[in-house]
Amino acid sequence: MIDRSLSVLKVALGSFKGRVAAAWLLVVIVAAVFAPLLTPYAYDLQTLSQAFQPPSASHWLGTDEFGRDLMTRLMYGARTSLSVSVVAIGLSVSLGLVFGAIAGYFGGRVDRAITVVVDLTWSFPEILLALILVAIIGPGVTGTLLAIGVAYLAQFTRLARGQIMSLRSETFVEAARSLGASDSFILAHHLIPNTLAPVLVTAMLATGDAIILEATLGFFGLGAQPPTPSWGGMMSSGTAQLFRAPGIILFPGLAVALTVIAINIFGDALVAAMDVRSRERKA
Amino acid sequence: MFKGCKSALMASAIGVSFLMTLPSAMAKEAIFALPAPEVGVPAYNPITGVNTNSANGLIYDKLIERAVDQTYHGHLAESWEEAPDGMSWTFHLRKGVKFHNGDAFNAQTIKDWIPLYKGTESEYMVASIASVEVVDDYTVKFVMKTPDPNLLYNFSSSFLSVVDPKVFKELGADYGVTEAVGTGPYKLESFTVGQETVLTRNDDYTWGTDLSANRGPAKIDKLTFREIPEDSTAFLELKTGGVDMLLSVSTDYLPEIKAQADLGLISRPGTDLSYFVMNVTKEPFTDIRVREAAAKAINQAEILSSIYGGVGSTADTFLISSLPESKVKPEYKIAYDPEKAGKLLDEAGWVKGADGIRVKDGKPLAIALWTQSDSAFRRLTEVVQAELKAVGFDATITTFDSSMIRDEYKKDVHQAAVRSYEWDNADIIDWFFGGDRLGYPNISMFNDPKAEALRAKAMTGSKNSEERTANFLAYHEYVLSQFPFSPIYQPLDLSAYNKTKLVLPDEKAVPYFSSLILDLDTKE
Amino acid sequence: MFTYVLKRLLTLVPVFLAVSFVIFMILHLIPGNPVDNLLRVGSSPDMRAEIEAKYGLDRPLLVQYVIWLFHVLQGDLGTAIVARRPVATIIGGALPYSLQLGGAALLFSSTLGILLGIVAAWFRDRWPDQAIMGGVLLGSTLPSFWMGLLFILFFAVWLGWFPVSGVRGWQSLVLPVLTIGFGGTALVTRVTRVAMVDAGGRDFVLLLHAKGLSPLRIALGHVLRVALLPVVTILSLRIGWILGGAVTVEVVFARPGLGTTLIKALSQHDYPVVQACLLMLSVAVMLGTLIGDVLQALLDPRMRHGHR
Repeated sequence: MIDRSLSVLKVALGSFKGRVAAAWLLVVIVAAVFAPLLTPYAYDLQTLSQAFQPPSASHWLGTDEFGRDLMTRLMYGARTSLSVSVVAIGLSVSLGLVFGAIAGYFGGRVDRAITVVVDLTWSFPEILLALILVAIIGPGVTGTLLAIGVAYLAQFTRLARGQIMSLRSETFVEAARSLGASDSFILAHHLIPNTLAPVLVTAMLATGDAIILEATLGFFGLGAQPPTPSWGGMMSSGTAQLFRAPGIILFPGLAVALTVIAINIFGDALVAAMDVRSRERKA
Repeated sequence: MFKGCKSALMASAIGVSFLMTLPSAMAKEAIFALPAPEVGVPAYNPITGVNTNSANGLIYDKLIERAVDQTYHGHLAESWEEAPDGMSWTFHLRKGVKFHNGDAFNAQTIKDWIPLYKGTESEYMVASIASVEVVDDYTVKFVMKTPDPNLLYNFSSSFLSVVDPKVFKELGADYGVTEAVGTGPYKLESFTVGQETVLTRNDDYTWGTDLSANRGPAKIDKLTFREIPEDSTAFLELKTGGVDMLLSVSTDYLPEIKAQADLGLISRPGTDLSYFVMNVTKEPFTDIRVREAAAKAINQAEILSSIYGGVGSTADTFLISSLPESKVKPEYKIAYDPEKAGKLLDEAGWVKGADGIRVKDGKPLAIALWTQSDSAFRRLTEVVQAELKAVGFDATITTFDSSMIRDEYKKDVHQAAVRSYEWDNADIIDWFFGGDRLGYPNISMFNDPKAEALRAKAMTGSKNSEERTANFLAYHEYVLSQFPFSPIYQPLDLSAYNKTKLVLPDEKAVPYFSSLILDLDTKE
Repeated sequence: MFTYVLKRLLTLVPVFLAVSFVIFMILHLIPGNPVDNLLRVGSSPDMRAEIEAKYGLDRPLLVQYVIWLFHVLQGDLGTAIVARRPVATIIGGALPYSLQLGGAALLFSSTLGILLGIVAAWFRDRWPDQAIMGGVLLGSTLPSFWMGLLFILFFAVWLGWFPVSGVRGWQSLVLPVLTIGFGGTALVTRVTRVAMVDAGGRDFVLLLHAKGLSPLRIALGHVLRVALLPVVTILSLRIGWILGGAVTVEVVFARPGLGTTLIKALSQHDYPVVQACLLMLSVAVMLGTLIGDVLQALLDPRMRHGHR
């Protein structure tokens, strides 16, 4: 398993595009994880007299309306955006696997009930689902996290269900069943592990979408609450400073775009490397 | 050559035909953007409505107008007298006034109109009136339950805009949604809530006040009021000519407006005040020393200069500085004093920890700081949060939708909040600190017997305005001495307009919008 | 065919009932009460009771649901509590704007997406393919509010070609459509490209090649028809996006629409409006799925009798 993963990674990194994308992702992740070590500034320390500084040697990207270092905010913002998206998608992947496996394996009424709900929610725009859920749960990191997680639940349930259904009649499952293995044993030891690879790739790509969704919720003021920086929240406060300091809105936007592009390129490279059939994704 | 000649001829012919049909063909139009807090007002109904917008003041007239300098000017009432004992008022009404539907305005109108407030949110404004007597067609007498020195103010409030009582009773709950009938310089043409309101000129209007040079009718035929929730979008609309005037503009855009030659700025004294308020029934704010420390941690001057670009003024009491009741003795004024704040917290047993956050009995000095999700509030609250941190408070910001936050206050789980109000009368202290309105509007949960006695005296125990001012001063000073809040900032009332489109009267003090509109013209 | 559609419609009935129940119940989980928004503190308990009785909020939840459903089925969506007018009027006012924007954006992104998809498939793995797929990827990775703001700055403020916001004439539709379309094109392009490549490898295409037809004719005349099937299916499943997915763009461009109406009503706890909006969206989604299935059945006879 590990050997196979490593070889896939090697192939994915074989292309120039894949290497650049992986490098950017690494930079963002390092910035997010080691932000406190990489910057001399605190993300919430206001020096109002230093507001709206242009980029300089001491403030690489300038300062925001409170005189806080934009580069620092961007790094801590990566922390919020990445962790919320990754945890949210992790949530929908694990729940989606459970629901999808149940629906796909048992079929019948259970399957139909799950499929109806999933199809319906899948057809709702994620942003609308997330906005409704945040209204119910309440704004903040937890609210956005759960909202994004639930918004993508349908997608992963569908995917897992489809995978399980196609695997269900494979010989090795039939063999296990004839040997007297229980349903839960077959699900846990044969079916779910075999659906993991395509699910993980999709999850990676969905993380990209989740970053955008998180930024959008932040833009609506529903994400991480100030002074905790998030890319969307930074852009939200930047709209008022469009003329005085366009950087406040420009840089987080670029960070979102570059990161999501990198995730997509790297994800595509992984797909190609794993020789998984071209997937279908929505915008 | 010939061709050029011909087109010149054509052009002049078109020009002539244009001139000849000028009155009807060249309908003058102007587009306004309503201030963000006025977006979403559900109906043009001053009687049952909880909020009104700027267009309301063009559809309706009031008995009395209040000028920017807080003087009273007759409008639908030309003059008035108060009985020496304050137990009755006689109002002399203007003759020849008609409602938009042709109904006459007279003393009977007033008699039918006042009772409509029974059971509404604005009932308190006419609560001191025992009965309305028609003396003759244009004279009306208010018999009072108690003397009410604030009656003139109430009659100048937009909530006491004069509505056609007949139409109001006919339409019931639908009043103001599709139809609104007043005596104002403009009629309601169409209204889509949250989107736009179109008004057309009332051609019969001749009863403007002495606050405008033109007494009517207005000069512009058609007005459109757009509701744009985002400040930045509204500003870009002004910049690109999509709207001709922003009725309220954030100080963020002042440098841009000044830099652009075709944009003009109107500045009036504001009636807003922003403040930081604490729940006196919740730890740690049950201790008056902690409240005083928090109140003195807020650096009004720095907020004024850095967030608002020095435009407006700092606040040091709960009232806007143009009110006489704001002139409290200096020792009651609340101002930035971080040293005193630190000393008070030390005294109260909260000692500074290693991370700068104060601790007492192993518990950190942590509070939840609530605010509204509008960007202006979020920004101010972020600064307040940082300033509280500087003296040792660990404040966590929680934002709520502005329409939702009132419900949350009623649950009484909040500790502190950053808020603002828009009002220009001392009775706002009663509204926000009265013991009978705990939760909301009394977010501080301040309810103290001494304050209640002073409040009752100020609200209903004053025979004339001098007495009322003195009573409110005493009440105000007492509230200040208990530190349930800290004042922050008083903005100016700023609006911006397109100079290539609109012509403003040449005056030093620009009147409020409803009076300004009669003199406002468009450029051809 | 008719019985197929009827059968599919009948299966939607229990789904509709389940969905309407969920929508009704979820909203009552949202903290906050619309009546509080109507009352100032200090109003008497009688006034509260009166308002609650007026909107039927004093009855048990289940009874409220049955009454509501009964009214909805008769076409009566009720009266908005905060906005104080019939819900049908509110939705009727917002719907045309959503349809305009959603429809135009769909038309734009599907036309452009199919064209780009065909070109990309034709130049498969060569630079035009890579350029198109790269551009499309870029479009789908930019947050739409950010892109909208950039478009406003560039096209409205700097060039002055289009209005900044609002709904005044077709000009005000251009920038929102571009903003949504730029992102939406990605999906259609990808699906078209994959389907074209897939279909291009099928037996009948190889046969056509053997018969000596020009590759361009095969691609446009035969392959495209097969390739359109998944595109149409995807689009019909995405009807919810047309009606409600533009909410971000609606906010940026200060446009009214179903999405904004829903979000505003949600923040004001105006239950009747939220319920009606959600129900409408769900019904549209259900019908969209149905239309997708029917189209698929029409285009691909094999599907007609089988299972999904």
